[in-house]
Order: sequence, then C-alpha cells, then structure tokens
Amino acid sequence: MGVRGMEKLREVGGFVLPADSAPVSVRVPDAAASWRLGRREDARLITGAGRYVGDLDVPGCLDAAFVRSRVPHGRLVAVDTSAATATDGVVAAWTAADLGDEVPLVPVYLATPGSAHRPCPALAVDRVRYVGEPIAVVVGADRYVAEDGADAVRVDIDPLPALVDPGEAAASAVQLFDGLDNVVTDMEFGDPVPDEVWQRAAVVVEGVYRQPRLVPTPMEPRALLAVPEEDGRLTVWVSHQAPHRLRDDLAADLKWDPERIRVRVADSGGGFGSKSGTYAEYLVVVRLALRLGRPVRWLEDRAESLLASPQGRGQNQRVRLAADADGRMLALDLEVDADVGGYPVGAFVPGETGRAAAGVYRTPDVHARVRTVVTTTALTTPYRGAGRPEQVYAVERTVDLLARRLGMDPAELRRRNLVPPEAFPYESPTGRWFDSGRYEQALDLALELADYAHWREEQRRRREAGGAWPLGVGLCMFAERSGLEQKEVAQEWAAIDVAPGGGVVARVGTCATGQSHETVFAELVARTLGVPARQVTLVEGDTAEVPQGVGTYGSRSTQVGGSALHRAALELIEEAKRRAGPGASYANGVVTAGGRSRTLGELAAAGEPLRVEGVYAAPAAYAFGAYVAVVEVDTELGVVHVLRLVAVDDCGVRLDDEIVEDQVRGAVVQGLGQALYEVMPYDDEGRPQAADLLGYLLPTIGELPPLTLGSTVTPNPNTALGAKGTGEAGCIGTPPAVVNAVVDALGEPGIQLPLTPEECRRAVAGREAGVR
Amino acid sequence: MKPAPFDYVAPAELSEAVSALAERPETSRVLAGGQSLLLLMNFRLERPTLLVDVNGVGALDTITVTGDALRVGALARHRAFETPAVAPGALGRLLSRVSPFIAHPPVRVRGTMAGSLAWAHPQSEWCATAAALDAVIELTGPSGSRAVTASDYFLGAFRTVRQPDEIVTSVELPLLPESDAVGVAFVEQHRTHLSFAQAAAVVALVLRDGAIAGARIGMTGAAVRRAREAEDWLAGREPEPAVLARAGELAAAAADPYQELHAGVEYKRHATGVVVRRALTEALRDAQDGRGRA
Repeated sequence: MGVRGMEKLREVGGFVLPADSAPVSVRVPDAAASWRLGRREDARLITGAGRYVGDLDVPGCLDAAFVRSRVPHGRLVAVDTSAATATDGVVAAWTAADLGDEVPLVPVYLATPGSAHRPCPALAVDRVRYVGEPIAVVVGADRYVAEDGADAVRVDIDPLPALVDPGEAAASAVQLFDGLDNVVTDMEFGDPVPDEVWQRAAVVVEGVYRQPRLVPTPMEPRALLAVPEEDGRLTVWVSHQAPHRLRDDLAADLKWDPERIRVRVADSGGGFGSKSGTYAEYLVVVRLALRLGRPVRWLEDRAESLLASPQGRGQNQRVRLAADADGRMLALDLEVDADVGGYPVGAFVPGETGRAAAGVYRTPDVHARVRTVVTTTALTTPYRGAGRPEQVYAVERTVDLLARRLGMDPAELRRRNLVPPEAFPYESPTGRWFDSGRYEQALDLALELADYAHWREEQRRRREAGGAWPLGVGLCMFAERSGLEQKEVAQEWAAIDVAPGGGVVARVGTCATGQSHETVFAELVARTLGVPARQVTLVEGDTAEVPQGVGTYGSRSTQVGGSALHRAALELIEEAKRRAGPGASYANGVVTAGGRSRTLGELAAAGEPLRVEGVYAAPAAYAFGAYVAVVEVDTELGVVHVLRLVAVDDCGVRLDDEIVEDQVRGAVVQGLGQALYEVMPYDDEGRPQAADLLGYLLPTIGELPPLTLGSTVTPNPNTALGAKGTGEAGCIGTPPAVVNAVVDALGEPGIQLPLTPEECRRAVAGREAGVR
Repeated sequence: MKPAPFDYVAPAELSEAVSALAERPETSRVLAGGQSLLLLMNFRLERPTLLVDVNGVGALDTITVTGDALRVGALARHRAFETPAVAPGALGRLLSRVSPFIAHPPVRVRGTMAGSLAWAHPQSEWCATAAALDAVIELTGPSGSRAVTASDYFLGAFRTVRQPDEIVTSVELPLLPESDAVGVAFVEQHRTHLSFAQAAAVVALVLRDGAIAGARIGMTGAAVRRAREAEDWLAGREPEPAVLARAGELAAAAADPYQELHAGVEYKRHATGVVVRRALTEALRDAQDGRGRA
C-alpha cells in the first residue's frame, strides 16, 4: 500500500520534509474547531469498570516473578534454582540457559552506531550490569508463590567496579563490555563554533547542569499476559503504546509470521514512554507461556518498577553561549554525556537533545556534541519529552545566565533572539527543519497572563524592604518536535467502515494510554462526516483489528493519527459521492445524486462494503510554548513555594481544548516533579537509593501550584487538520521556568535538579557567605 | 511485593491476643492498622511467622476522657483526631492540628496512634506528641498491664521499652489546663503531603502575667523526642522573638536526627530548630486567641 500524501514530501537522509519550501497556509477546518466533550473513557475508568491486564481472568494463568541482580556490576558465576523449583506451587524456574540455544536479545528502539556490539540479553548470561537486571524467572500458581520461589533462588556474582556517572564512565578503564569503550556513540550536530566567534563575543557564559534520572511511574506499572491459543497462535494482552512494534519484535524473536501473534492492549494506567518498548521480561514471559503451554502473566509491581523499569533523562550537560553587547546570541555550544544505563537500548534519545540544540533562537553558530555512555545503572529509554526537556533545560538556564551577565531582562533577551514568524520554514544550524512558529506571540501572552510587570515590581519591593522571603520570576521558551522525522514513522494507518445500519467504525494505528482517543478521534470522524458522534466508534490497540500502525509516542497521535482519520473520512465522502453517481453532493451523512438521497448506511447496504483504508503521511511538526513561573523561597527551610505557573502552549489546531489542557496539566505536574522532587539517586557503589514512593517523591495534589493555561494557535501547515502534538509540552517548559525563578530569587546559579530543601539551603548559604 | 508466608490469628479477646503473642513473641507481630508493618512485609524486610490481628478485639477503639486524661484505645485510627472535638480544650485543638500531617487520608483511615507509638518511627508525629505531653503508654503482656510514661518509653529509632510479648493497649494523653492561657501548635517540614516529616515540632505552652509559665516541646528524632533544654530556657521568660529563637537553637542542639535521602543530619537539625521556633510563635498566637475564647 502506498503512503498517501508522500507526493507532497521530500526525503532527505531518511527524514521526510515538506516538498514546498514555503508552508501551505491552511484554513482551520470546521471539523477541527475546538469542542468540549465528556470523555467516553471516563464512565468505566472512574467507576472501577476499566479492564486492565491485571483484571483479565484467564483460567489456569500463572504468575511470573523475576530474580534481579542486587549487584550493580559483576561476573555471573552461578544461579541455583533448585530450591525455587522445590517450592510449593512453583511451576518453573528459569535462567538464561533455559531460554533456548540463543538467548533472546532486547530489541533497541532505534539502531545507533555501537548498539549492536553491546547486546542486552533477556536474562543475564555471564555478566550483570545494573541493579535490577533480570537473572532468573520463577513461575507459580500466583504471585505470592512466584515470589517465594524467586526468594529461594541463589545467585553468585563476582563483583566488578560500579560506574555511576556517565562522565566518569567515559573516562574509566573499567569496561562494561570487554574490549569496547563505554562511550557507545559520539554524535555531532552542526559545525564546531570557530574560536574567533568566542573571542570577539562581548560576553560568553557557561553553565554546567545535571539532569537527574527519573522514573516514569505510570499509575499502572508494566503488565503483560501471554495466552497460547489452541490453534497455535499466541494472544498477548499488554499495557502498551506501540502494539504493532511489539508484535513484530516478538515475531522476530520467535521466528514466527507476525500474523500468528495478536497483541491486544487493555485499558492502560499510563505509559509516558515507559510502555513503548519490547522489554526483557516480555520476551521471557512469552517463551514461558509457549513452553509451558499455559497462560503466563507478569504484573510489574511498584517496587520492581522503581528498581528495574526503564528510566528517563540522565545527562551531564555543559553549555557555552556567546552574545554581543546588545544580547544578540552569536554562538551556542552544547556538550552532553548521556547516561544510557547498562545497555544502549534507548541510546537514540539523547540525539534529540543535540539535534534541537538551538531551541527557539536564531543563533547563527550552533554545535552540539552528544556522547552516549553505558554505566552500571538501569536503562534509560524514552520518557515523556525524550531528549527535548534535556535540551530546553540546558539552553533556557543558560539564556538566564546570559541575561544576568548582561543585566538585561530575561524576557527582553529572549525576545531579541527568537526566530521570527517570517523566517519559517527555518533550518537550524544543527540541521533541524522547523515548520512554523510565532514565538513572540506566545511570549507576550505568557507575560500578560503572569502579570509579569507586577511580579517584577513585587520582587523589587521585597528586595528593598528586606525581611520577606525572596521572590523570583523564571521564563522558559521552547519548540518541541512532535511526530517523527523518519519516513517509516512519519505516517499512520487508518480505516473507516460504514455498516449497512449506518454505524461507522474508525480504526487507527495509534494506541492510547490515557490520551482520550476514544472520545476525540470518534468525534473528529463524526464531525468530518457530519454524522452524530454516537454513530462512530473507534478501534485501536488490537493487531487483529488494526493490521498495521506506529503507535502513540512522540506526541504524534493527533498530529499524525488524527490527520490520517481526517483524510480517510474526507476520502470516504468522495467515495460515497462516486458511488452515488455523477454530480453527487454530500452533506451531513447524506449523499444526493439525480434527485435521490441516501445515507451512508443505505449506500453501504446497497452494494460493496463502504470502506476507506490507507496509510497517510505527516511530517514532524514543531509545537512551541512560553512558560512563566513565580516562586518564593523559604530561605530558612529551603522550600520553594510556586506562587504562579503560566503555561502558554501552541500545538496548532486544538481538537478539544479541555483534553489538551488536561494533557498539559499532567505534564506540568511531571515537570514540577522533575524540578522539585524526582530523582533516582545511586550511591557510589551503584545501588539505587529510592525503593518506594516515600523515597522517590512525586508531587501530590497538595503540591499543585496555581496554574494558568493559555494558548495560541499556529496551524500545522503540512496537514489539512492543522494539529501539532501536545502531550509532552508541560514537562518540557516547567522545569526550566521553575529553576530559573528560584535562581532569580536566590541569585545563586549553581543550583542543580531537583531543588530539594537541602539543595536550596546550600544555595542560600552560598549567598549568605557572599560567594557571589 | 508480596509477603513471605506467615500464620495469622484474629482473636476476639485481648487475653487471647496476649496468649497468641506469648507463644513465639520474637517472631510474631501485632497487626493493628498495618500501615507500616504490611509495607515492610511486602518488601520482605519483616518476615513474621505469626500475625496477631487485634482488629477484632472489642473495645480497643474507644477514645474516652477519664479523669484528667484522654484515654485512646489501641484501635483508634489517626483520622479520629482530625476534629478538635476529639478532646476537650487545647488538647483537642492540638491533636486536630497534628493528625492531618500523618501521611494521607487512606493511611489515616487505617493507621492507629497506638501503632505509631509501638513502631516508634523517628519522624512520627504521634511520638513527638506523646513525648511533648509525656503520655502514658499502657503495655499489656502475659503478666498483666503496666504503664510507662513517654519519657521512659522511647529508647531510640524504632526502639522502645515494649517487650516482644507486650501489646500497646492504650495511650493516655493528659488534658491541657483550662484555667490559664494555653497555646498549642504543630509545625512540620515535609517534602510532599505523602512524606514523613523532615522535622516537626509539637508545642504546648501556658502564659501567665505576660510570661511563659511552662512549655512542652516535642520533636521528631530518634532517642530525643522532647526538647527539655529549650523548655527550661523558656520557663518564666517573656516570649520575645529572641527568646523563642534561642529555644529553637537549644532544641536543634539537643535533637538527634539521622541521615536520610536528600536530608543530611545538619539540614534536619537546622530544620528542627526552625520548626520549633515557628511552633512556639504559633502557640503564642494560639494562647492569645485562646484567652479571647475563654
């Protein structure tokens, strides 16, 4: 099947870009005018009637529990499962040796140079590389028994030195993979900035930042249930964002035809990127089910999730920024050592940080060097934002450094350097192609909603009066790639069927983990066709119903999947008119030709099934935003009080304001978590230090700041729908805004994430000691 | 996160619970609210061979005024103290200000004050409260009941004088005097509403003729849960800001906090001084309000 819409695109190095140099100006289609809806999902989810993987009642189902390494790095000498096998109720206890002649390897998200030489086995074979790495699995009649068995497995490991910090790991003589450097990939984006640019610049500022490791912590941890069917097929129930990729990965591992595997996504308690992969545990559980001929499930629990689930972020960053005396940015250099954990499964993520390096600024010389480094810690893979929050944090904190150095208002400094609307499509020095943006408009709105002038005045008043807690205002501006650039994922499959009774079934290859597709996509199709929404149902997340798809990640669902449904619906109207005969007209689900009017259902009843199916292309788009945080700091206790948080987001055309705002709210809270609370710390011996949610802190409802949301609308010029992505914006814009505000309050730029009371106290002590 | 196998009994009588516990006291645990115990069992950090569930024992959930004290039964849940009506006067006010800081509502529905005292977590709000008021803890074992004052009860973090075969059957909190201007306050520094305190202070003070006639200060910590030096310093002094600040410093110096994730001993000691000073300031205001009420 050809990809529709590709004729309007050009391919450059595997990326698809719009063919026209100038973006097409679009009218916001009537179908996409924002509306307010109750969510179709809510009734079942909030009354406890949702059906998650853990709710599925399959007779004879066994539970799996994994034995995980407690040693961060070492040679695996022996694994003794005999006591586990002897435990009452245990059905099987496996090590890597039981997985077959070839131990399955965990598929990488995207191949990067060096990843193939550092394979990640589904169960450790002769080496362990992080605490939490699966070593053995025990299957029992229930999870209690399985854990009793796992408890009884004896593991003998000869420890090797731990490497916790990517910078140190890059320089260390200790190799995680014998004979191979710990640096997996060394990437460059843009040309190195010539020395004379730094020398002739009026000011050069430098910032050094640490991006903590974050745990995605969806409400429902990972979950998979493998059911061998009597006809030799396999059904896999899973909480997942990309069921087709999972199906294909499992088929590749088993050397099966993918048609033999049906992946079905149940209700999902969130993903945030952490449910997009094909994990070691999935490969093992599937093999167990097939070998034992019984359903086997693995329901990750919270402790396991904190220990062993893929994490996000984890970068050491160094940024240099040069400007002239008027604050015009001349050059930006970004160096990143990205911690990919024990195996480079998600090593493509930091590439986004480098490719996006310039941010929203028209800096002429931009260069980024990104090294991905293996360490003896849990894997890092895409987590909400996936490389973008890291980039924005590095740049936006440094822009504030520049403002301080120049004595310039940080809003004014940003304004002077924004890529102007007329410069789009804009190609950045690091090779990024931005479709559209009206950055200054977003900045103006954010400053207005925040009442920026008022808070600056209040800040001045407090500084003069003394005594009161210091107040700070922080800004963040960003552009966020939504959708993807690579051709094979810059597209989505969609189909629309009309039944003889008039019912419309829309199918699409995206897969919601909380993004309200059932509501929004059904309504989009209904409005495009002009039929009542109740006539339309959405089907996704079942590979038997949806033969192909890319999935839900990278803020792509509405931009790409929604656009595919929109175009399929428009094609369906054309098909209905063609069938009705020459001169046919269409309105509100009724096609009229030659004086005869028929509904879509009547048309479908009359002849061939009325169906449209296709794969529709949509290139990456660039949503953007401007955030403002106002904080005061209890300097005695080091506690940050966020007084006001303003988030202005432009995600193009919004199909549903309320649902977009809910996405933003959720992401803002995760961003607040990154700014103030969240980190998975490792001690020097490589042991993770937070075992539960008393140690790994998430913001709770009591920590939510007053939040003001605003929007501007700059339609996506490359789809008729005009939508861009929005799922990740809040956690991109919030951390730099909050941290910049705290730096503004305390005047201490050395502060690092997360801003714990102890960290803020250190900054206060530094200030009181007159260090700065 | 599933516990290792264990035996379980749920007696209906206290005597049966005591007997069950006495059979193998070192490896048995009493289950009341279970909000700490079950978490640790799920992590297999606690592996009791027997759980003695006292939730079915009658009459342990009562809260009554007996003489000049509030007698709190072993099964009284944290949430019972969310209303100031739980006890007369300033004691009710104080308890209702402490209770909302204990974890979150689902925990408060299950967890018990007596359980908190039995567990003796160093950051426990109720332990600081019991220390401040010098509560009397009733321990019941095979040889009967004994009463221990809080000053003798706490030995350290998670350590008390309770023997493994004893059950905390009640806690008696003295009512606060009504005749004078009594002020109470609770101030806590925590990271999120889910978190344990990094530092917390319970204050009850009595004003007479413009001076502090007496003050009780409980705080989080391990063995030291009461700031006696600060109490002595305050007695008879006028409540000037510098006096309260000095009390905070004395409390901080006496405190014995432990290192935890993101909060070293020095931070927690410093924060203890701050919350003690702030609690004294609030208690003073409360006393002045109290005079208006009386």
